[in-house]
Amino acid sequence: MNLPLLVLLLPAVSTAVLFLVPASKPAVVKRVAFVGTLATLAVAVFMALTYATTDAPTETAANGHVYKHVLSVPWVPSLGLQLKLGVDGIGVAMVLLTALTIFTGVCVSFSVKERAKEFFLNLLALVTGVFGVFVSLDLFFYYFFYELAVIPMFLLIGCWGSTTKTMSRDYASMKLVLMLTTGAVFALVGLLSVYVKAKTFDMVRLETLATQGLFDRSFQMTWFPPVFLGFAALVPMWPLHSWSPGGHAAAPAAVSMLHAGVLMKLGAYGILRVAVTYMPDAAAVYLPWVGVLCCFNIVYGGLVAMAQRDMKFVVGYSSSSHMGYVLLGIATANVIGVQGAVFLMFAHGIMTALAFSLIGFFYEQTHTRMLEDLGGLMKKLPFVGTCFVIMSMASAGLPGFANFVSELLVIVGAWHAGMYVPAVLATWGIVVTGVYLLRTVKDAFLGTMPRRWEGLVDARTPFQKMPFVVLVSTLLFFGFNPQALLTLISDGVKPIVSAVDAAKARTGGVETGSRR
Amino acid sequence: MNLHLILPEIVVVAGGMLAVAVDLLAPASRKGRAAPWVAGLALLAATLLVVLGRPEGTSFFGHHRSDAFSRFVRAVATGGGVLLVLISAPYTRRMDRGHGEFYGLLLFALVGVMLVGAVTDLMGLFVCLELLTITSYVLAAFKRTDVRSAEAGLKYLVVGAVSSAFLLFGVATVYGAAGSVEFASLSAHVVGKGFSPLLALGTGMMLVGLFFKVSAVPFHVWAPDVYQGAPTPVTAFLSSVSKSAGFVLLLRVASVLVVPAAGTASGDAWVSFFGVAASLTLLYGNLAAIPQKDVKRLLAYSSIGHAGYMLLGLAALVATADPTVRVDAATAVLVYVFAYYVTTTTAFTVVAVVSAQGKGHRAETAYAGLHRRSPLLAFAMLLALLSLAGVPPMAGLIGKFLVFWSVVGAAQSHPSVVVLGLVGALGVVLSLYYYLLLIREMYAKDPSPEGGPATIRVPAAARVSVAIGIAALVGLGIYWAPVYDVARGAAEALFASR
Repeated sequence: MNLPLLVLLLPAVSTAVLFLVPASKPAVVKRVAFVGTLATLAVAVFMALTYATTDAPTETAANGHVYKHVLSVPWVPSLGLQLKLGVDGIGVAMVLLTALTIFTGVCVSFSVKERAKEFFLNLLALVTGVFGVFVSLDLFFYYFFYELAVIPMFLLIGCWGSTTKTMSRDYASMKLVLMLTTGAVFALVGLLSVYVKAKTFDMVRLETLATQGLFDRSFQMTWFPPVFLGFAALVPMWPLHSWSPGGHAAAPAAVSMLHAGVLMKLGAYGILRVAVTYMPDAAAVYLPWVGVLCCFNIVYGGLVAMAQRDMKFVVGYSSSSHMGYVLLGIATANVIGVQGAVFLMFAHGIMTALAFSLIGFFYEQTHTRMLEDLGGLMKKLPFVGTCFVIMSMASAGLPGFANFVSELLVIVGAWHAGMYVPAVLATWGIVVTGVYLLRTVKDAFLGTMPRRWEGLVDARTPFQKMPFVVLVSTLLFFGFNPQALLTLISDGVKPIVSAVDAAKARTGGVETGSRR
Repeated sequence: MNLHLILPEIVVVAGGMLAVAVDLLAPASRKGRAAPWVAGLALLAATLLVVLGRPEGTSFFGHHRSDAFSRFVRAVATGGGVLLVLISAPYTRRMDRGHGEFYGLLLFALVGVMLVGAVTDLMGLFVCLELLTITSYVLAAFKRTDVRSAEAGLKYLVVGAVSSAFLLFGVATVYGAAGSVEFASLSAHVVGKGFSPLLALGTGMMLVGLFFKVSAVPFHVWAPDVYQGAPTPVTAFLSSVSKSAGFVLLLRVASVLVVPAAGTASGDAWVSFFGVAASLTLLYGNLAAIPQKDVKRLLAYSSIGHAGYMLLGLAALVATADPTVRVDAATAVLVYVFAYYVTTTTAFTVVAVVSAQGKGHRAETAYAGLHRRSPLLAFAMLLALLSLAGVPPMAGLIGKFLVFWSVVGAAQSHPSVVVLGLVGALGVVLSLYYYLLLIREMYAKDPSPEGGPATIRVPAAARVSVAIGIAALVGLGIYWAPVYDVARGAAEALFASR
């Protein structure tokens, strides 16, 4: 059985099974979702472990980029459209991240009482779309799954979200869907132009054609911006980020986890896989500007996070700050930086999923996330509190966590690329992160506890603790053993970087030539 | 005569007459029982004849041509007709008279649609379109005791008459300029002599007449009032059947008269004509839909927006110099017509059942918390709205995708067309906004006390129609190769028969 197909089918089949389960049996619904996502996680782990040694069918693009587990099923033969699945190292890392996030997300959602069937239906439909994006090797299906992942978000936030003084769930959900769809349709126009030029949607073939120079310079300069910005809206790059913190804040815990943990990575993934890979000449020109814009993400996002009193907004703005590092890593266009970016996509996904699951855990009992209402929660919630402290340490880039490795790589990469100012700003960004997260820990978990929180209950049963343990140990495992992930990532990163290098060499040659 | 070529039409006409007769002869207590069955079975038989038999050739001295194109149009008309009968059955059950007439008129109108794909000259085109339009006037005013329905009928009659006048005057002018009404000789004339001012005037007037029918801006003003006032099954009919007939004819006229001029100066003028009409229709329809509170009105404006997308495909069709892209564009329009047909019929099935509760069509009362009152209807409406918005995995996505595709393809030979693609992209976002507002009303709000009973009983006929709709929406959205291939065959026949 083709593993990417399995990864796609397991959540899809679980969704279909959920349709048949009567809404009056929430326990069965939850069990189906749990088994479905656990099985997906098992497949994803198996795929990651055996990736180097697998003898599954592979396909290699002309630039030496190897895709494994390739499967292609003709879909609309008269158009040359196929359902083509396959993964490279980056894809495997992202599938693993998604599987971990949805599995833990389903576990922490066992407490959902209202309309449980519809909740899990939407959640699994959403994650089917996300998996679809990460395993598709055909641009039509890539777009298909990308849009599929956006719409359930609207219902999940609109029906199960929370409304606070500053952000209503109606506003947040609408803004999120409209901004992401705007990005997606403009990117679609760009993707179609790529098709019209190349007469194929096959992403491996497109990569080969791009290597052979099919997309001329003027084509790249025209179509790179819509495609890049379309995906950058999802990352979210400043100034297209405004949907994101509100969306995080209004969403229920599991949805925030998926949203910040995985959905935002779709944008960065699209930038790497489509925009930079097919249009390296334009990337070489535009990416330095991305290096400037991402500083706004890092610094501005961090400073805004400092000013927030709602814990979800703190983490929300911190996410757009951290995604700035991912963009910086991509902007460096060297192996170290891009590896760091992909590693950070993984590490930040796990870390932020942990953050939202923890906040969701006590929000269910306190019904407030405002820092001034909380305090001293460590007394009643020692386990959750400890996990939150660990999360803060990871987020602030303490050695020993995966985040440290990835942020270090990004900053070193930026320095190598000659982006000295962004590199210095990014280093200071870590300090800013430390400030707002430590202050959040202090305000929420230390100090004196208001009497009304006497009745809070900690995570007691092993099942309640399990999702947090899984996420923390993932962070620690890859923090101490980064090479495990880097080996996976690097064979996906190198062809992309070498394409941009070649483009730089070409333009450099042309410019010096003209100067003479 | 080759009567076997028009056997499907004969079956439908006979069914229509039988429906009237059966209803006349039925005893008073059993009025209205048999007519829907007769109509439905006749349409089903005609659908089978169209799909299974493959009539090819001409009859009536070359005035009627059966080919892949007409087969596609007939299949859409008859298959969609079955759905319309399913929507109408619960509605007509509540009427006290006129059952036979309702189905008779419906079937005669459908015959008009079946024929529009097969006509070979402008006179045939006009006659078929009138057969459809005149029956539609009566259908729109069918609830004659209701002021709104009478208003709808009257408005439709006046506007329709004006548009027919435009069309007929255009036909006469074209005949005066080119000396023929036959499609083949008209194409030859344009290829040989180009567009004289008179021919351009005639063609423009014909297109304006057809723009009325498909409610393209600025000839759209009748649509919201008529859609809102007409009985809901008739609204479904107007937005699906009537609109698709208009687009079939637009495809025909464009391929006969405008395409041969592609690449010349007058060809470029036609590109602007279609491009401007498409952009205005798309933006106006979607913007004006945003403040609508009445769901039928909202769907009326949204149908104007969708006409804009189909016109976008037509603009690509006349803009490109590449025959392959031309076929792509015609295929896109046909697939869009089909997908829109399925989607809008599903949506109006829901509207018909919800409004049968007698509490109107207001979004915040009749549709609030619909998922609690009837999970099936809410789910069908959700899928229909997502399909209208063009979201995967729904049929609507395929239509939009193919239209965008042909627009970007046409941009190769006519770079300014890419602007249309960006306008279309903007339209997707605008439309998503108001569809999502209605989805929120259905799923995130609690039922309103003014909205009617706490649970909605769904009649069996509506159940069948909703089930077919859901299956078609999702099925076509995921696996669309068969429909695409049939539509492509039809598009190729459209250009081959010119």
